Amino acid sequence: MESTQWLLVANAAVWLGIGAYLFLMARAQQTLDRRIRHMEMLGDDK
Amino acid sequence: MQTNRLSPVMPLVGIVAGLALALCQYMIFVYAPVEQTMGIVQKIFYFHMPLAWWSLISFLTVFVASIAFLRTRNWKWDALSGAAAEVGVLFSGLALITGSIWGRHSWGVWWTWDPRLTTTLVMWFVYAGYLVLRTLDLPRERLGTVSAVVGIVAFLDVPLVFLSARLWRSIHPAVFASKGGGLEAEMKTTVIACIVAFGFLWVALTWLRAAQRRMAARIDVLATETTI
Repeated sequence: MESTQWLLVANAAVWLGIGAYLFLMARAQQTLDRRIRHMEMLGDDK
Repeated sequence: MQTNRLSPVMPLVGIVAGLALALCQYMIFVYAPVEQTMGIVQKIFYFHMPLAWWSLISFLTVFVASIAFLRTRNWKWDALSGAAAEVGVLFSGLALITGSIWGRHSWGVWWTWDPRLTTTLVMWFVYAGYLVLRTLDLPRERLGTVSAVVGIVAFLDVPLVFLSARLWRSIHPAVFASKGGGLEAEMKTTVIACIVAFGFLWVALTWLRAAQRRMAARIDVLATETTI
């Protein structure tokens, strides 16, 4: 593998890692939003 | 229902981080000159070093926030230490991966039991263990206290990582140990720009994750109160 390819692989690894973490954060936010909506519905029923 | 709203400054930090990282990429691939001895692969340094440095800042944040939590019992410090540990594990993991790729090209091996690499790997496992600990099903107060104590003790390895290349015979360079690290002006500008860019990313990720953790903890408390 050429030197440029090693550099690109390392660069891609960084962005994949950060992208994966952002994806997990977005999933966590969706879960929080769902729980808030659920609690709001329970509050409205009372 | 009142929940912890996100600060309006937070999206701004995220946008600045995105723009700064785009500039950092431009400087790495276009502006910075190719190093004569190692060739173009040396450019891995421009994201390898900021990731490593900001991971150490993350673990310092865990240490300080853990002390603050034990002193004040304010849950915002617990959320901050959890968030900083996550980002620190991510950044140090990426520093290990990029370092390994660079090592494979320059040294011919993916891994060697060098003091800097070994202490960094130990640090990664310690904080990965800390994150596992935080998921244990324990009473909230007890889990907060145990996490804070472990967050303080875990920091023992961090100065070792920083000093390892200086204290022991290491093939890993101690960057900036000599005046400016022997970098050309364009290289120094690029590395500083990338440290700042990854700093903005670090602030954005840690801030947002801490806010999420505070919100999750508040919902847990409200859910428990509703059940009772």
